[in-house]
Amino acid sequence: MWEFIVRSLDASTIFTIAALSELLGQRSGVLNVGVEGVMLFGATIGFMVAQTTGSYLLGFLAGIAIGGLIGLLHGFFSITLGSDQVVNGMGIWILGFGLTTYIGYPYTGPLGMERIPNVIGLSPFFFIGVALIIIAWFVLTKTSLGLRIRSVGENPSVAEVSGINVTRTRYLSVITSGMLMGFAGAIYSLDYNPVWSNDFLMGWGFIALALVFFSMWNPYILLGGSILFGTLWQLSLNPQLVLPDLMSRYIWRTVPFTITVGALMLMSTEWFRARWGAAKPEALGQPYIKD
Amino acid sequence: MKLGSFEVKLEKRVSLPGWEATLISLLAILVALVVFSYIFVRAGVNPLTGYKEIFSYAFMSSFGLPLTINRFIFLLLCTYAFIIPIRAGLWNIGMAGQLYAGALSAFAVAFAFGAKTSQNAVLPPGLVIPLMIAAAILGGAVVGAIAGFLKGRFNTNEIVVTMMLNFITYWIVARLIKEGGLFMGASGEGDGFKIPESIYAPLVKNVPFTVFIALGLAMLLYFLFAKTKIGYQIKAYGKSPSAAKYAGISPYKIPLLVFIMGGLIAGLAGYHYFAAVPGVYKITKNYGDFGDLAFYGIICGLISQGDALAAIPIALLFGGLTNGGRFAQGKLKLGFGIDYALLGVLMITLVAFQFFYRYKIVVVRTKKETSDVGIHS
Amino acid sequence: MLLESLKRGDTVLEARGITKRFPGVLANDRIDFEIKAGEVHAILGENGAGKTTLMNILFGLYQPDEGEIYLYGKKVNFRSPLDAIDMGIGMVHQNRKLIPAHTVIENIILGHPRAGNILNLKRTGKEITELCDRYGFKIDLKAKVWQLSEGEKQIVEILKALYRGAKILILDEPTSALAPPETKRLLESIRIMTRDELAIVPFITHKLPIVLEVSERVTVLRRGKVSARLETTGATEKSLAREMVGRDVIFRMERVEVEKGKPILQVENLSALNDKNVLALKDVSFSVQEGEIFGIAGVSGNGQQVLAEVLAGLRKAQGGKVLLDDANITHSPSLERWSKGIGYIPSERVDVGSIGDFSLVDNIAMNYYFDVDFTKGGIVNYKGLRKLTEEMISEYDVAAPSPDTMAKSLSGGNLQKLILARVLSRKPRLLIANLPTQGLDVGATEFVQNKLMEAKKEKAGILLISEDLDEVLSLSDRVAPMYEGEFMGIIPGGEARREIVGSMMAGLKPKVEEI
Repeated sequence: MWEFIVRSLDASTIFTIAALSELLGQRSGVLNVGVEGVMLFGATIGFMVAQTTGSYLLGFLAGIAIGGLIGLLHGFFSITLGSDQVVNGMGIWILGFGLTTYIGYPYTGPLGMERIPNVIGLSPFFFIGVALIIIAWFVLTKTSLGLRIRSVGENPSVAEVSGINVTRTRYLSVITSGMLMGFAGAIYSLDYNPVWSNDFLMGWGFIALALVFFSMWNPYILLGGSILFGTLWQLSLNPQLVLPDLMSRYIWRTVPFTITVGALMLMSTEWFRARWGAAKPEALGQPYIKD
Repeated sequence: MKLGSFEVKLEKRVSLPGWEATLISLLAILVALVVFSYIFVRAGVNPLTGYKEIFSYAFMSSFGLPLTINRFIFLLLCTYAFIIPIRAGLWNIGMAGQLYAGALSAFAVAFAFGAKTSQNAVLPPGLVIPLMIAAAILGGAVVGAIAGFLKGRFNTNEIVVTMMLNFITYWIVARLIKEGGLFMGASGEGDGFKIPESIYAPLVKNVPFTVFIALGLAMLLYFLFAKTKIGYQIKAYGKSPSAAKYAGISPYKIPLLVFIMGGLIAGLAGYHYFAAVPGVYKITKNYGDFGDLAFYGIICGLISQGDALAAIPIALLFGGLTNGGRFAQGKLKLGFGIDYALLGVLMITLVAFQFFYRYKIVVVRTKKETSDVGIHS
Repeated sequence: MLLESLKRGDTVLEARGITKRFPGVLANDRIDFEIKAGEVHAILGENGAGKTTLMNILFGLYQPDEGEIYLYGKKVNFRSPLDAIDMGIGMVHQNRKLIPAHTVIENIILGHPRAGNILNLKRTGKEITELCDRYGFKIDLKAKVWQLSEGEKQIVEILKALYRGAKILILDEPTSALAPPETKRLLESIRIMTRDELAIVPFITHKLPIVLEVSERVTVLRRGKVSARLETTGATEKSLAREMVGRDVIFRMERVEVEKGKPILQVENLSALNDKNVLALKDVSFSVQEGEIFGIAGVSGNGQQVLAEVLAGLRKAQGGKVLLDDANITHSPSLERWSKGIGYIPSERVDVGSIGDFSLVDNIAMNYYFDVDFTKGGIVNYKGLRKLTEEMISEYDVAAPSPDTMAKSLSGGNLQKLILARVLSRKPRLLIANLPTQGLDVGATEFVQNKLMEAKKEKAGILLISEDLDEVLSLSDRVAPMYEGEFMGIIPGGEARREIVGSMMAGLKPKVEEI
């Protein structure tokens, strides 16, 4: 049971950081539906660099760097060119999905490095994830930078007449967001499941995307949701630990996805919206073009 | 930007003539292929040799061509499953899930006729094949309808929902064809059961008859969007939901309708690959690869700008590239996943090029005496 | 809080010969304007007189084509509103420039140099509270802006400008959205501000008494020019109105008297909610007869839009009844209404009335794709529609290269002509025209008004919703001024009733003998 909890929290760490990164971008008004793609890049490049150099540190740095680079690319398409953010995000996802399948293939197999040591029985990244949530909450609500980020996500033209550089603020958010996505991917391939195979990370990024919608753009609800989904994910992988013989392990695998659809539906209902309101950033997905 | 006595400027387009759109699309594909040559260079292969291998296998060889055509049919169907919702401004990235559901439904019919138990059963093809197709259509449509209903009724994000449905159906297929599942094949290696020869899809010159369905759909979709009331309603909703509402078009029905239509075509794609392609006739254990291949439908749909006829040559090209790519990968020792890499490169190039659908580059002479002459590139 | 001390009576801002042209319009024609510290100098003018353009020039949003602006005696050149803000000009927008999801204090300190890296809400809150106390504003700094009333939002904008150190405050229609007690408090605050040597420039269309009550000088604009500069001490409401409208009414539609027929539309106790689920249409009853133009006058946001949408079937009625030719259509879908003879010209030309990425033919199809004359067996007769489009283009004189042009490339006037052509070609029994001439130039306006008159001659009933008082009065047979979702009365149209209608639009029910 303890092991189940530990593995659940490990899984939730990846959801936490990936979803938090998406939340950060969205608060600035930029939607990236390609979270999965950026995570795949971070996971693959991180894995390759770590295995080649034998250094976890370099692996993580590489994962973060490639994530930031992809974030920059998404920013260029979405902010500078003002193209449709959904198309750009799909592009990022398919690019990541296609390219990493190819470049990662020669590395198929275990990482073959000593595991990253635990801290009081848990992966150190769990604590980093919680810390990041607190930092993100603090920055978004308590600092001038956070106010600027939220403002460009709500109403860029008001922000502009108040003296805020919308483009710079959005780039900052999107690049940071990409770096965190890359980091989340690298945690997956270097710590959570350090074995490369060509169809891994199935759906983590998309659930992270849905988690942002569930969280109503609040980092703490996001943390709660991530822990819930981390547990669900772990349950779907190892149901025998908790509920043996209830149903086929394959059907268990569908559970996180089914619950995602159900939760998304519930919170799209008028009943839900009337009670808890929609905290969705007003300008989400809209390019800002000065006239 | 200034270059000598010329100035290069970006200008917002007011209209996009058909030939310019075609030019941009072709240019995007060309640029993607040029970028992609890096993969050949990295493997120490001359890109021209690489492409020659790919194209000659895909389109000239008697081994490769039928495979290309089978892929072409599959990709074209996946493209149409994507195109119909995108014309309504909605993203169907659930072709994979819909085609799994279609395949499962088709095999459920075969199963009901006892196809699993007896490999040599003689079943009436005139009855069973139409039923299998009908079931495939129904299965795909039901999975599509879930996303369409949620979008229309609750405005639930269709990208997340269709993607979730991909995973859900993926595992349901695994449940049914593996580890003692209902549709498990006799070999026990993880494949589904094989249908008896009596209900193999009829072939015309070694090509499954589904090619006629796909090409017929091309005509039908062209007609749908060019001539019909429903097509008009879908397009109006896609361009402006608020104006469509003013024109009396239901914001509930359109999402449901387009996802049902998209889903049923994806269901057909499922029937095609698993029950009609020579040499397959079962849900293979690597069915997930075909789900991945379905994502080419997105690129194909975007490059063809939602035009059903323009999608035909593009689907044929991509069918050839993926098929030839796999061959070249083996022959030139390029490493696994070359078709995946191409998918990524094509997609991101296309995303970059969509900018040119909205803007054009204009070259203006800046010399004084001719400053009012604009040369439009 | 003020940057530097200014003496009462110093000229703080001077605009000389401001001229601004837009395609087809001379919006500002050599306008001179000045304001002194501690003074309230109102700018008065009707819609389209050039107020908004002048205001945007003073705030740095537009650059004038000709003319200069002097600030504290020095010539300035604003490249953007930021320059204006930095030099002590504050703007209180009518369409509030606030972020609804943020708190009051967050809105005030957004982009403020003193906000600090880590927000010191205690310190800034204290400073803002001091400002509030000084000028008599009451506001909860922790409230979210979307929860506030219009009057409170205005206070937030004023505070934002003052906290930024504004010495010149431009107020855009400061009292148009305020309830009477809020207006009273605002005027009181303005008086205190002038004691602190602030210069206040209110831009006002209606509510003339307020102009007289608060300002020392008034500059009246008419058709882009200054028509008068007055000291308020000698001015009366009447004299101001005369300067605003002009003695000579230059172009007015000749109203055609048509014999009225039976009622087409009957509305009984109709109520509806707006987008924020607030009751915005309250118990409205009226009828429209054949050959009649029924005008609805009112300041934007008083329920006209909601009424139009309910009648068009685009919004649910909360209560009451709508009868078209005695048939109950209260809950009929809009398509059914179109086929029964209602035509609707929406106020949102670009977002609702047309589809920018569609060709003109496809735009015409919006009102025809369901028509059995053009669609049989689910097949749309595009050839026929194309011919129809070509006819409309020539008949309505739409400037478009071909029927295949995208609608987004048309100018506002041409787009409106196209929408008008589409709706009128169906020969509606009842035409709902929602702000049909808003934002159009003189020529297009005249064209649209003529077409409405023609439809009236053909015995259509017309419901005309307009924010332009002159238009409503000159075109309508009967006028209902609307205020906060209610009709303030229904009175006969005509120029003579101008002042009464104006006060009714501001929420005053007239005495019986005035009508």
